[in-house]
Order: sequence, then C-alpha cells, then structure tokens
Amino acid sequence: MLEQILADIPVPPDPEGRIVHGFSNNEDAVLVKSPPAGMVLVQTVDILGAIGNNARLFGQTTAANALSDVYAMGGIPWSVMNVAAFPSPEKPEDAPLSVLADILRGAMEKVAEAGAVLAGGHTLDDEFIKFGLAVTGAVDPAEAARNDALAPGDCLILTKPLGTGILATAIKARWPGFEEAEAELYRWTTRLNAHGAEVIRAMKLKAATDITGFGLAGHVLEMARGSGVSVELDSCSLPFMEQAEELASFGLIPAGTYRNREHCSCRTTVSESAEELRALLAFDAQTSGGLLLAVPQERVQEACERLGALGEAAHIVGRVLPLRGRQEQLVIT
Amino acid sequence: MHDILLDCRGMACPQPVITTREALEKKPSSVTVLVDNAPASENVRRLLEKSGYASGLAVEQREDSLWAVRGAASCAVCAEAEAVIEAAGERASRTLVFLSTDTLGHGSDELGAKLMANFLATLPELGANLWRIVMVNGGVRLASQPGRSLDALKKLEQNGVSLLVCGTCLEHYGLLDAKQVGETTNMLDIVTSLDLADKIIRP
Repeated sequence: MLEQILADIPVPPDPEGRIVHGFSNNEDAVLVKSPPAGMVLVQTVDILGAIGNNARLFGQTTAANALSDVYAMGGIPWSVMNVAAFPSPEKPEDAPLSVLADILRGAMEKVAEAGAVLAGGHTLDDEFIKFGLAVTGAVDPAEAARNDALAPGDCLILTKPLGTGILATAIKARWPGFEEAEAELYRWTTRLNAHGAEVIRAMKLKAATDITGFGLAGHVLEMARGSGVSVELDSCSLPFMEQAEELASFGLIPAGTYRNREHCSCRTTVSESAEELRALLAFDAQTSGGLLLAVPQERVQEACERLGALGEAAHIVGRVLPLRGRQEQLVIT
Repeated sequence: MHDILLDCRGMACPQPVITTREALEKKPSSVTVLVDNAPASENVRRLLEKSGYASGLAVEQREDSLWAVRGAASCAVCAEAEAVIEAAGERASRTLVFLSTDTLGHGSDELGAKLMANFLATLPELGANLWRIVMVNGGVRLASQPGRSLDALKKLEQNGVSLLVCGTCLEHYGLLDAKQVGETTNMLDIVTSLDLADKIIRP
C-alpha cells in the first residue's frame, strides 16, 4: 500500500546523474555522487509536527524549512532523504495514507525546485504526523556564511516577515479569519530561501542564519554570542505577516514565543521606547522563516538591490555593535 | 450583568484564550480567569484588554503555578448610559439617586419608611432628568420587600429609569432571590455611574 503510494509521487529530476545507484530495487542505501572538487558538504536534518491543515503545503513547508539550513550557509542543496512519522490508519476517522502521499508530493515539489535529488527516506508508524528531511548541500568552504562571523558595523537584513508562530496558533484555535491566516502562513513558509543564498554567494557575505524556532531575536542573540558582539534590533522596522500583530494582540501567542523571550532575558535589554508586543514578537518561533544576512554598511544598498532583482524582500531590522555588557548583548529598541 | 469565573488550569495555549473568548460572548460584566502558566496569563490579559475588559485589568500570581487574570467591561455602563441619553432625546442632565438605607431621615424608622415610600413615589416629578437609582447596604431592601416603596420603584423602572442593586449587599442580607426590580450590580458599575452622573441626590 505505502509502496504503491510512493511509486505514484513524482521524484525530483536528476539530470546530472547524482544518484549512482538508487533504491528502485529495494536497496536500503543509495550511492550518491560527490559534489565537485573543492566543495564541502553541508548536512542538516529538520523535522516538524503538522502545521496548518493542508497536507501538500505542509510538505512544501517542511522541505523549504529543511533546505533553508543549507541556504543559510550559502550552500546549494545536493540531495535529500525524507523522514516521515505517520499513524497507520486503522479506523475510518484516521488520516488516510493519501495524506502522507500529499505531504511527500509537496515536499518533492520543493526539492525539485531547489534542484536537489532524492536519495531515499524512511517512514515509521507513530502516534502523530511528523515530517522532515535530511538535506545534504554543497558549499565552497572559503565562502560559506556562518552564524559566528558578525562584525560591528554590519547591518542585518531579513528576507521574510515574522509571524508564523502567531498564525499557526490562530489556525489551531480556529480563530475568526483563520482561513486567511493559513493562506498567509503557507505563502511564506513554502517559499525557498534560494535567492538569499544566491546573494550570500554573489556578495561573499561572511555571516548569515535562517530564522526558525528561537525566533529572530533568539537567533540573532546566538549569532551575537558566537561572534563576541552586541546586536541592536529595531522593533519599529520588524516586518510582520498580514494579521500577525492583530491576532497576537488577542493573546494568540504560542508558549514557545514566551519561552524564547524568557530564555534570552538575561542577555537582552528592551528599551522603554520599544512597543511591548513588537518586542515580544521578535521572539516569535518561526517555521521556515527567512534568511538573516549580515551586510557591511557600505554594501547594504547593493544587497537590497540584488535581493529586489531576485524578487526577494529586504527588511533592514538591526545592526551589529561592539560588545557591550552581558545584559546588553541583544538590545531591542 | 454578571461576573464569571473560568478555571483554565491544565490548559495549554491557546485553549485558555479560546475558552475565555467563548465566555465573553455572554457579555459578563466582569471575568476572572485562573490559569497555571505565565504565558497563558499574559495571553488572557491581552485578550481581555483587546475585547473591552480593560477596566481594572490585573494579573495576580497567587501561587507558584496559579495566576488570576481579572478584568471588567470597561464601557458597558458608559455605552448603556449613552443609549439611555439617546433614547431620552434632549435630556438636560443625568440625575442619580443614591439610596444607602431603606428609610428617610433619623428619628423614627416607622416614619422613615413611610417618608421613603413618599420620596420614591414623588421622584417621577424630576421628569426625564432622573437617570438612575443606585441601592446599596440597607437600601437594597427597597428592591426586595413588598410594599409601597417597591411599587414605586417598579413604576420608575417601567418609565425607563435604570435601577442598580448592589449584589454584595443583597447577598449580605440574604435577599439575592427576593430582589424584584433592578439589575444586580457590582462596585465598578456603581463607581462608574457616580462618575457619569451630572447630579447626585442622596436623601
């Protein structure tokens, strides 16, 4: 049954023949050609619980989310493996296997868009639906962007608006307007960060990260700590998805967002001028969030133009400062 | 007009917000929500603030994992007052009568009760200016015990005068079920009414 379903899902094309020996004859492992000489592998795995109510768009979201870790380093996705947890349907009200097929179909669409090949996967019987991918990418080690290479004077550019945690909570609550919230959520979460990675490579940017579970502020603080600098985020400049601020003002804020703020509190100063809700939403846990690019001040215009030319948003959300006291490693103004 | 208490302990976000929102659809005058985690307390506070329950809004941590979030309808009384004014057309001013006993004056209670009945029966002479009568402490007996005073109050209510009866006082005298006219109310409504009135008569 499962095999039949998998057989019907289009596999991403492999024009270069990266898969040397595949899994078509029930082989348990796959031989994959190495990336070109001089490149190193970028490896990452990311698995998500169901988000929203559309299986195919959830599949696309998980793929975009997993691929994003490769893009954040300026890498090119090379191959992926699917990891699926799905409750075996036993009763009529259980999710049918076609749901799993839709998730996989959505994921494969995004893997194809990313130009990666499928190197197999694994499905297990589990209580809840979970899906994710192990992704292998390739990058020139001299040009890989890192999360510990911020320099004072850098500007921080974010490529997607914030708010997936809020919207997902409103969808879970079936709050009035949740259908629109779901469309807005998927609009951003299914979007690949490929263009951001292109700009990292083209401009040889030293530092970048992707915004996921710790929220913008949490990931920025990680970067600041790794780089030995302080970072200032401007709450007035933060871009939000449609409805996100309004829904948040009704209290549709996930516990994880509050946990992120709490976790960072001893290294964070929120200035009195910052609006409380916006400062909190800087910590909103994101799924498949945008890339955060650190760009030297004099090259900000170039970065924005390059992103704009590729159809990508460029929001300047903060700047890197020399290290201040421990309590001021992250300052939200 | 009523107060509600919601026990949202043991609920994960966003359930306390969903449960509170459903309860607010019944338009209580105030609400107290118990939750067992800090995020839920903040989220419920935001919901109350956003939903017009910002009056006296407070988050109180009572134990390690017990928070009480309270808020009262900030504008219910004002909105109601505005509606009355609109209905009355060109009302010159809002006169409020504040009754804290069921008798009028000191000396003889028997006489005082008669005088109070006469007082209430004569209030219609104030015309459209008479906006609201608030009864507290011994005054709530007027709204509960059969007699000429009660009859006068019923007539005033029929004529569109708003009657507010203190719930705490009714409870104190064991008269919650005996009340026959007016709306049971709380101190917030009383204070807001006193603030809104242009003139207060305290016989």
